[in-house]
Formats: sequence, structure tokens, C-alpha cells
Amino acid sequence: MSVSVLVVDDSAMARKMLIRALPADWDISITQASNGVEALSRYRQGGVDVIFLDLTMPEMDGYQVLEALRREDLNCLVIVVSADIQEAAQARVRAMGAIAFIKKPVDPVRIQAVLKEYGLLL
Amino acid sequence: MSIDFISDEQREALQEVANIGMGQAGASIAQVLGEFVELSIPQIRAVAAAEIPAALAALAGDGVASAVRQAFIGELRGEAIVIFSEHSAHDLAELLCYGDALDTPASRELLLDIGNVLVGACLGGIAGLLQTEIGFSAPSLLADQVATRQLIQAETIAARCALLVEVRFGLEKRAFRCHLVMLMPDDAVAALQRALDRFIEEL
Repeated sequence: MSVSVLVVDDSAMARKMLIRALPADWDISITQASNGVEALSRYRQGGVDVIFLDLTMPEMDGYQVLEALRREDLNCLVIVVSADIQEAAQARVRAMGAIAFIKKPVDPVRIQAVLKEYGLLL
Repeated sequence: MSIDFISDEQREALQEVANIGMGQAGASIAQVLGEFVELSIPQIRAVAAAEIPAALAALAGDGVASAVRQAFIGELRGEAIVIFSEHSAHDLAELLCYGDALDTPASRELLLDIGNVLVGACLGGIAGLLQTEIGFSAPSLLADQVATRQLIQAETIAARCALLVEVRFGLEKRAFRCHLVMLMPDDAVAALQRALDRFIEEL
């Protein structure tokens, strides 16, 4: 069954870079959002399995999205994709429920490893 | 000045590479200072030379500030300026345990060192993504606790206009705040555009 993936980043270029780095053989349907508000509204429609979430965004940032998802009883997997590569940022998002942290520029090998670790990719 | 200084696509690519460079710079000073660093969304715009002092003042806000500068050379060419808010040197001294021993020369040295770390990591990151070599001059003090409008003198700017890229770093628990500004003169923008086009093509 196809996995529903939501890619959240204020930069269209960054979303494109991420989507290009996803495994070619991964059976997915992709939707995109350019800030946290759009992301949550898409999430609340239901059916989202995996969110790739940027941290630094206007309107509502990635931390606020994680907070809201937790309040609303998170039932999807969130992978944070960020240029903010401070160790403290990585620890924070994990504490807030993200399953993994992927540094920008994204490395396809690292994405594949994370997806395999969580059984999202065989 | 034309609003089409660079294309929308080039601007977006520059914003993303600046974002990644900023992240690397933020992680570097987070490690040096042992504090959580708050990052901004990079801002990019074209500014006429005469407007540069006012543009820097608008970024730095009211009051006084200090600034260090470093020229960068290579395919990417211009000036990197790091503007430190008034009490930043004091905050840095406390974090790095200089205590009361901090005199004026030592405080200047501190700004030069932190500026150098930020510029090296940020611009080094950008150059790496654009697959181009970059070199830096030694950092020097551009302004020492002056009114933000006087950080730079318009008549010292040789270019007609410049592309201004700004990123901001703050500390969660302290007043410390600084802005890293890249100024690329109009005659260096064509080379930047070529580098950005290569980057876009490879996506």
C-alpha cells in the first residue's frame, strides 16, 4: 500500500531537494506544505503516514508543529529535516516526538537508513 | 535598480544555501559558547550603495553596535560584515569565562574571533554547496560601539549597488545578538548567478 508523505518546508527549492533524495522505489504519494499552519491543516484531514518537517519557517515553525501534533495525539512519523544542526536542536525535536533528524543538505543514504530503521522501506 | 537583480529561482536557491550555511555557522558558535543558538530566515535584497548604511542600521536596530568585516574572494566575491549588538561582547566574555579581566583590546579580539568563526562556517558552507573555492582576508574591526547608522560609510563602498544577504543569530538565554551580512557588489553578481544556475541544474 502506498505511503502518504507530507513534505513541509517554506522553501520550494528545499522541498524539491528532499523529494529528489527520497528512494526511487519507495511507493508513496506526496503532498507539500510551505509552513506549519498549512502542514497541520493537511495533517488534520487525516491519512498522513510520514511528515518531513523543516524547523525554521514563517507563520508556524517546526517546533510549534511538533507541539501541536503531540497535543492532538500524534499518530504519524515525523522526520525533522533542518539546516539547524545544533546537537541541542536534534535533542529537542527527538524529545518532542520526532523519530529522526536529517541534516540539510539531505543525504539520500541517510534518508534510506532512517526509513529502513522504521520499517517504512524494505 | 532593477528588481530582477537575480531571478526568483536564483534567489530561492541562494536563500536555501544561505540557510544551510547559517545552520553550520550556528552549530559552530553553539559549540564554542555552549549555548542554544536561535537562527532566523535568511533575507536577500538588492541595495544601492548609498542605501547600505541605512540598510545595516535597519537590521541592527537603534542604539550602538560594533562590527567586524572580512573580504571574501574567489568566484564568490564581496564583503562579509558581522554586526554585534551593544552588550554582545560582554555576553561573550561571560560565556567564555573572561570574567572581569576583559579589557577593551581583549573584547575586540573576542568579536574578531567569533566573527571569523561565523563567516568561515557560513560562507564556507555556501561555497561548498555551490562547489566553488572561497578565500577570506583576516578579520578587521569596522566599527567599535558606534551608532548603528555609522557602522559603515557610504563613500567607502566602491560598488554602485550590492546584493545583501542577511542571517541572524541570537542566544536563547542572553541578550547577545548578531547579524551576518554578505554584500556582493553588482560586478560580482554575474559569477554568483552562474554558480547558482549550476546548483539549480544539478537538483
